[in-house]
Amino acid sequence: MLSINNLQASVGGKQILNGLDLEVEAGQVHAIMGPNGSGKSTLANVLAGREGYAVTGGSVVYRDQDLLELAPEERAREGVFLAFQYPVEIPGVNNAYLLKAALNAQRKHRGEPELDAFEFLALVKDKMKLMGMDESFLNRGVNEGFSGGEKKRNEILQMAVLEPRLAVLDETDSGLDIDALRVVAGGVNSLRRADRAIVLVTHYQRLLDYIEPDFVHVLSAGRIVKTGDKDLALELESRGYDWTREAASA
Amino acid sequence: MSQTAAIDKGKAGLSAAETAFRQSLAGPEVANTAASALRAAGNAAFATAGLPAIRDEAWKYTNLRTLARRAFDHGGPVAAPDAAAVESAAIGGLGGPRLVFVNGQYVAALSDLQIQKGLDIAPLATLIHDPGSELPQSLCRLGDPGRHPFSALNQGLLEHGVLLRTHAGAVISDPIYLLFLSVPGAAPQACHPRVFVDSGADSSLSVLEHYVGLGSGQNLTNVVTEIQLQRGSRLRHYRVQDEAATAFHVGGVFASVGRDARLESHNLHFGAALARLDLEVALNEPGAEVEMNGLYCLGGRQHVDNHTRVDHHAAHTRSEEDYRGVLNDRARGVFNGKAIVHEDAQKIEAHQSNSNLLLSAQAEVDTKPELEIYADDVKCSHGATVGQLDQTALFYLRSRGIDAEAAKALLTFAFAEAVVGRIDLEPVRRRLETAVAGALPDRSLIENLIGADT
Repeated sequence: MLSINNLQASVGGKQILNGLDLEVEAGQVHAIMGPNGSGKSTLANVLAGREGYAVTGGSVVYRDQDLLELAPEERAREGVFLAFQYPVEIPGVNNAYLLKAALNAQRKHRGEPELDAFEFLALVKDKMKLMGMDESFLNRGVNEGFSGGEKKRNEILQMAVLEPRLAVLDETDSGLDIDALRVVAGGVNSLRRADRAIVLVTHYQRLLDYIEPDFVHVLSAGRIVKTGDKDLALELESRGYDWTREAASA
Repeated sequence: MSQTAAIDKGKAGLSAAETAFRQSLAGPEVANTAASALRAAGNAAFATAGLPAIRDEAWKYTNLRTLARRAFDHGGPVAAPDAAAVESAAIGGLGGPRLVFVNGQYVAALSDLQIQKGLDIAPLATLIHDPGSELPQSLCRLGDPGRHPFSALNQGLLEHGVLLRTHAGAVISDPIYLLFLSVPGAAPQACHPRVFVDSGADSSLSVLEHYVGLGSGQNLTNVVTEIQLQRGSRLRHYRVQDEAATAFHVGGVFASVGRDARLESHNLHFGAALARLDLEVALNEPGAEVEMNGLYCLGGRQHVDNHTRVDHHAAHTRSEEDYRGVLNDRARGVFNGKAIVHEDAQKIEAHQSNSNLLLSAQAEVDTKPELEIYADDVKCSHGATVGQLDQTALFYLRSRGIDAEAAKALLTFAFAEAVVGRIDLEPVRRRLETAVAGALPDRSLIENLIGADT
């Protein structure tokens, strides 16, 4: 589904990704771990097409398309979803409107009929139950005045409504207390499917107690330096990241 | 209408407009002697002041060159607007009394006064032309004609408009709708109506002033609104300026707020080639409050200047101001907001904010929030911003599949909606949302957002 080859990228003139390779198949959950500054968030943002992230080399192929050629909205309509590390507050645009506009943009792109208000509400209320969210939130501004936990929950709700083929979750566990983490992880687990891939970008192993990955990759200085299964995450938890860097340069 | 340079200057070196205004002021006297005296005072003040020039600090950013070239006709004949045009211009569904003015003059046939208890409505012209009628004592007391030449001119030509008065304790739930239609004639027309609102103690009232241009004339509307709020009263004042894109609009809103009274002012501009509004509020007694909510949504070469001023004359008074501008093309906005905290006005709160969104590199805004504080125990804040759309928010929307143009329109709409959303008259809010959408580069993208309360 996703094939990243020798990806190099810079932010503000500073080289962050230095030849990153990654293969992700449908149905898999990959965890990308690494210390601060290793390039985790850069990878997530490059995949979503954020401005200011300059790709200087390499390629990203997503479902036989050059992903890097697509505008952010085209990527979204093709089924790529980024759950933001810092979801943006947009006062004046209500959640219901954003969700409906996003969903219908995608359906239109796929040649499916757009949902009317009733169909949409039925769908979204169903998904909200899953995330333990109150219906009143639909008429609030996007993320406006939400707590950190509510913002992250809202990201996963959007994911549940949009049903992406490839979901990239950028530090979705950061700033969550244990109860919120359980809810968010439960939401993500319920979205695991044979035709969907999930890439979890995280600093800590904690999230992986709740979402069991198929692969764990260690990112260091903009490259993947080690790949393993879920046990690698536990090893990172007990030994830290330094040994992976040494192993990589050895 | 074209003017040669010779006519431009006029006989006494005056501009065409000023010459025409003086001719209007020299017109026939009115029957009511009290009105006559007020007119003479206005006339004298205008003769001293003349038209403002950019050397006047208060007019620094608003050049009246194009206005000054027009020899405005005063109360000239115009074709009566047909009923269908009036109804399409009007905001429907408000439920309360409606007064329609065509080029400043009250038209009974298009109006519906709905006599009701606790509320007096009197078209001004009837009183002015009746030698025996009694004018309110405080008419023409607010808005210093020495500082406001256009208000002086308006007073000098005092004739048309309306008096509104609520009795003590009256709660009038339906809004009073004042629809001012500007209709082109053979020459550019000028009108100078006056709205006078006297809110009795503990009364509650909503007034909507709606200025609409029919056709594309170069008319001038020069209107003055006087508002006095007695103890404990509430007034919601909505002012929507949607003149023709070629027209001129000058307005003064002058309010005096008594003990524990509250004024809510909503001032929105969409139309006119050149518009200027002076909004001045005096908080005269403890507990007086004002909320000032403003929006200017401009494109083309439109120029809109809002000057607001709040005087905190008493302790425990409060003012809150949020003005926003959306400027496209080569439009220009001017904001000057002054809050003056007078000596002994302790424990007051004054907050002021002006934010502007520039949608084009050629759009321009001059903003100046000012605070003058002569008391020491006060809570004040002010700030102004001029900027483009938030890039992070834009990316967030695009990452959800919304295309760039739609995302921009949506964020712009949301920016304006912060002001429009405070209007609790649903039909007005809907009309304004449509107007905001109409000012955006591509309104189709957000049409289904208007009034969406999913």
